[in-house]
Amino acid sequence: MDFALNEEQRAWQMKARSFAEEEIAPISLARDASPTARDTFDWEIIRKGSRLGFRTAAVPKEWGGHGTDFVTQALVMAELAKADSAISKTFSQCWKWSHLIAAVCTDEQKERFLKPFLADDTFLLGKGITEPGAGSDNRMPPEDDPKAGLKLRAERHGDEWILNGEKAFIANGSVAKLFFLDARTDPNALLRQGTTMFMVPSDTPGFRVGKVFNKSGWRFYQNAELIFENARVPHANVVGAVGGADMRSHAAGDRTGGDLFGDLELAANALGVCEAACAQALGHARTRKQGGRYLAEQQLVLLKLNRMHMLTEALRSFVMRVAWEHDRKLHSPNAGLAMNFSTDVIQEVTELNMDIHGGVGCQMDRSADKLVRDGFIWSHLAGDSVQRLKVAKRIAK
Amino acid sequence: MYNLHLSVEQLEIRDTVRDFVAQTIRPAALRPERLEAAERLPAWDLLEPASRIGLRALALSEQRGGAGADTLTCCLVAEELAAGDVDCAAMLNETSTLARLLFDRLMTDAQRDRLLPQFLADDRYHLAFAGREPDAGAELGINYHRPAASEAAMPITAFRAANGEWVVSGASSRVANAPVAKLVAVRVAAAERACALLVPRDTPGLSVHRDADAHGWHHGTCGDVIFNDCRVPADNLIALEHPGAAGADRACAKSIGTQRAAMNLGVGRAAYEAALDYAQLRVQGGRRIIEHQAIGAKLAEIAIRLEVARAAVWQAAWAADHPEAVADRSLPDLPLAAIARVFTAEAVYRVAKDAAEVFGAMGVMRDMPLQKYVRDALIFLHSGGGVSDAKLGIAETLAGYRRPSAPMVRAAE
Repeated sequence: MDFALNEEQRAWQMKARSFAEEEIAPISLARDASPTARDTFDWEIIRKGSRLGFRTAAVPKEWGGHGTDFVTQALVMAELAKADSAISKTFSQCWKWSHLIAAVCTDEQKERFLKPFLADDTFLLGKGITEPGAGSDNRMPPEDDPKAGLKLRAERHGDEWILNGEKAFIANGSVAKLFFLDARTDPNALLRQGTTMFMVPSDTPGFRVGKVFNKSGWRFYQNAELIFENARVPHANVVGAVGGADMRSHAAGDRTGGDLFGDLELAANALGVCEAACAQALGHARTRKQGGRYLAEQQLVLLKLNRMHMLTEALRSFVMRVAWEHDRKLHSPNAGLAMNFSTDVIQEVTELNMDIHGGVGCQMDRSADKLVRDGFIWSHLAGDSVQRLKVAKRIAK
Repeated sequence: MYNLHLSVEQLEIRDTVRDFVAQTIRPAALRPERLEAAERLPAWDLLEPASRIGLRALALSEQRGGAGADTLTCCLVAEELAAGDVDCAAMLNETSTLARLLFDRLMTDAQRDRLLPQFLADDRYHLAFAGREPDAGAELGINYHRPAASEAAMPITAFRAANGEWVVSGASSRVANAPVAKLVAVRVAAAERACALLVPRDTPGLSVHRDADAHGWHHGTCGDVIFNDCRVPADNLIALEHPGAAGADRACAKSIGTQRAAMNLGVGRAAYEAALDYAQLRVQGGRRIIEHQAIGAKLAEIAIRLEVARAAVWQAAWAADHPEAVADRSLPDLPLAAIARVFTAEAVYRVAKDAAEVFGAMGVMRDMPLQKYVRDALIFLHSGGGVSDAKLGIAETLAGYRRPSAPMVRAAE
């Protein structure tokens, strides 16, 4: 077993670290403090990061991307998240779907969508699954109920599909130029069989963005409503086959476009947040004095520091192992377990950091507070009971 | 005899406050602009009606115009109010508890005759006490099982002017209720004696600065109080160096601590009620989500934590109202108020997180209440010394350790 990074991996890590420290960290708290959801966003950081390759890191080299491996991707996500979890996620959200484009799009589709994506520093990608009445039902559809799950309807008219309905909480919703959308093409079939994935550019007629959700954590990350009123999408924009939105059932070469990357993504991002929390807690304990002595001289403070570092290092081992397994195409429930585990770790570690900062009058350190709010996002993305049951079902199968 | 019946009066008060919260407080507290606000300003549209039904003077004795509520009754009310709006609850509790301390226990008849009518007549008349707890901020962590080594805060001083007036100078930071107080009591060091002075808000030289940082980590409202050669009449002096005064102050501290736990419980209950309602409405996986084991068990855990916390709070409150129950060994001689506060803070944070998880993504939306309950629970967990310091305080009591302390407490012992 070898944990050493090769030169290329190390170079990406260092590049991400300095970008995070020099460019992301200085704007992170101000973006977080912006009162409205749309105003948290900052195109300048996206352009700067894009020029360094953080937007297109996962696109294969033969298509003009950087072709980074999963180990590199995990390292970069963690480094960026160390400065701001939501900004890291905004970049890696594009990787998630560049995996998919590379895996299942036709060459003609790659020409039309991958090339402009590579050429434009502000070209972000989004994916729309969740709807107001369908969250968990999309992740774990009931086996006998065709009515459960997403409702966005797509009906074919000649060479076009007409889309009607809405999506909610869609990542990069208000800023993406291209969406991968799951829509019902057969309302009488079960979710997995009756759903088709479409590529929908943001300027599609009949498609508009509704409200941007104002969240307590991950404030930079834009989750929006997408509204479809007779939106017209060419048949040429169908991803894979009609009735084949579930990439795991699709015979598509490298099938890491969907959940597999997403699981690693959340775990690696959490690792960065935990590193930030450890660094903050350690810095505070070493510099803040109480009664003339440093906090780090107190047993209770040391015990908290111990637990924070223990959990963070355990998560790091798990994340790197999963990334390494992905690179070797060893697919197992480990990625899902790492994602579930990262929920427990990010929340406990950021809470302990707050605890070490706490108790000072009526104030709370803004950074410590932000990390707890960001960490709480994992509760409904990565560590809710459905996400745990899904992984367990795979283990028990 | 073991008896957990609430009195008819207590049940009536609880029902009245519960109705008031449902009809008046909750609809206002759930407005997005209040849920999202980084700094929640005093909601006079809620505080005034609350005062009109007697909640501002709840603990003040009946003969002086209050409701004469004991600690347990105050806790019942605090839970109900906080289940609606924790900031209103915190402000009303502070004033009500200080009304009992100042008007019933510490003031002379002449002082009371002068000040009480104004207090009773004005629904916006709130009270604050600067420096009431000399040990607050003593930073127990570093001083565990040791005499306090912390650099002492600059005391507020007072001297007697030639015309007999008292002249107060100094500052006290983060005084609860200061921004809304029309009367500020301040503990001063004057001629080696522990005493307090009553300073009306409009006294020249008195200024209050609301916590300018919108990131205030407290419930209710608090601010820095500054006395700049502030002159008050000679008969505004309150003597604190007699056993009656010290006993009153200790009872007040215990009562505030226990009511704090009750407010914390109210936050947990609001989260629980929201999650229980939603789990019976939301359908996923072909059935209401409460019918799924994962959600059902989570709601059961929430209910268990809240019930056990409530038992601890009620026991602490009842013990405060019946000191004889410790004397006759019915109750253990433990710091029950601190025990209730720590258990409740930890339990309710877990409750709020679990309840928010039931809501999925809606649990983190700022125009929805769940994220606010999580935040309110976090503030209880990490403010006022936090639970870590409270545990150390409990440990010192278990070991029988007594820290040489400030004059007022020393005078009592």
